Amino acid sequence: MDERVKTGMGGAAAALDLDAELMLRVKEGDGASFGVLLNKHRASVVHFLYRMVQNHAVAEELAQEVFLRVYRSRETYEPTAKFTTWLFRIATHLALNSLRDGKNEKSQERLDADSGDLPVRQVSDNRPTVEARMVYEVRLEEVRRAIAALPEKQRAAVLMHKYEEMEYSQIAKVLNCSESAIKSLLFRAYETLRARLAHMA
Amino acid sequence: MRCPLETTENVELLLAFSSGELSGERAAVLQAHVENCAACREFVSGQTAVWDSLDLWEAPPVSMDFDRRLYQRIEGQSSWWDRFVLPFRALLLHRGLPVAAAAALVITAGLLLDRPSAAPVAPLRQSAQVEMQPDQVQSALEQVETLQQFSHLLRSESPDSQM
Repeated sequence: MDERVKTGMGGAAAALDLDAELMLRVKEGDGASFGVLLNKHRASVVHFLYRMVQNHAVAEELAQEVFLRVYRSRETYEPTAKFTTWLFRIATHLALNSLRDGKNEKSQERLDADSGDLPVRQVSDNRPTVEARMVYEVRLEEVRRAIAALPEKQRAAVLMHKYEEMEYSQIAKVLNCSESAIKSLLFRAYETLRARLAHMA
Repeated sequence: MRCPLETTENVELLLAFSSGELSGERAAVLQAHVENCAACREFVSGQTAVWDSLDLWEAPPVSMDFDRRLYQRIEGQSSWWDRFVLPFRALLLHRGLPVAAAAALVITAGLLLDRPSAAPVAPLRQSAQVEMQPDQVQSALEQVETLQQFSHLLRSESPDSQM
């Protein structure tokens, strides 16, 4: 991925993008608009990064850096693309760098510790039985390992497609490749996931 | 209908169908095809399982102090330029350059006037001692002696001394 995360991405007009309008207000010195953007996108950015690096502390640290970069870039911001495209481009860039630097190389060991924070599916009496919890943990672990085993770009594409419900064209812009390349990338990624997770049906 | 699995380009239709995103006529046409195509049936079944499995993975909530930490970092990293220029940014944008320039001039003047001496104190004292030469000391002593003589002369001629 390009080292420089540009604020202007060219191409699609973002005239109706409310987020872009808020960012323009931040550019004019309106700090409250930055708060609105943070409130709106905080969770999705942190969750995307968490699923990318599979470490909650690292994910939050990276998310802080994402919003810090957004704030620092306010002076040069130009709304030439959807705000979320730019936002996730920064987030993906930082996540891929973090994975390559091995900052979260112990993430797999921390998965067990992290799982304590996770919401647990409830059974009918509102308390999971030990067996239900164990089954859930095993299935969850399989999902996490299947996602972690995907090549980085495929992982990012699947997470944006599945959890952020982004369109192919937007994922293509975030990952800086063509729409057909994204379709091919997702096809291969889901093929791998089907092979690993189909038995969980 | 041509099988969507024959081209990667069209496989998005099956992905959308598996996740329930397709509706209307397109969904009905695809449904009819899937019922008669074993490969597509297997694809849809597997993809639905993947979709359901991924739904299991809920991310933990964001820390309560996330915003506080972020604003602390923003505050910590805000530059000198941000601190001194941003307050006048609105003036620059809305009232024009002259007002902003005047404000900048006032700040600059204030900073210059309030600027403490750059030279440290200790070296000054040292240099005064070094620069004092022996002939200057002798000259100063002679001047003191002259002043004492003059003072003595004045006292002897004053009315008080005559009394």
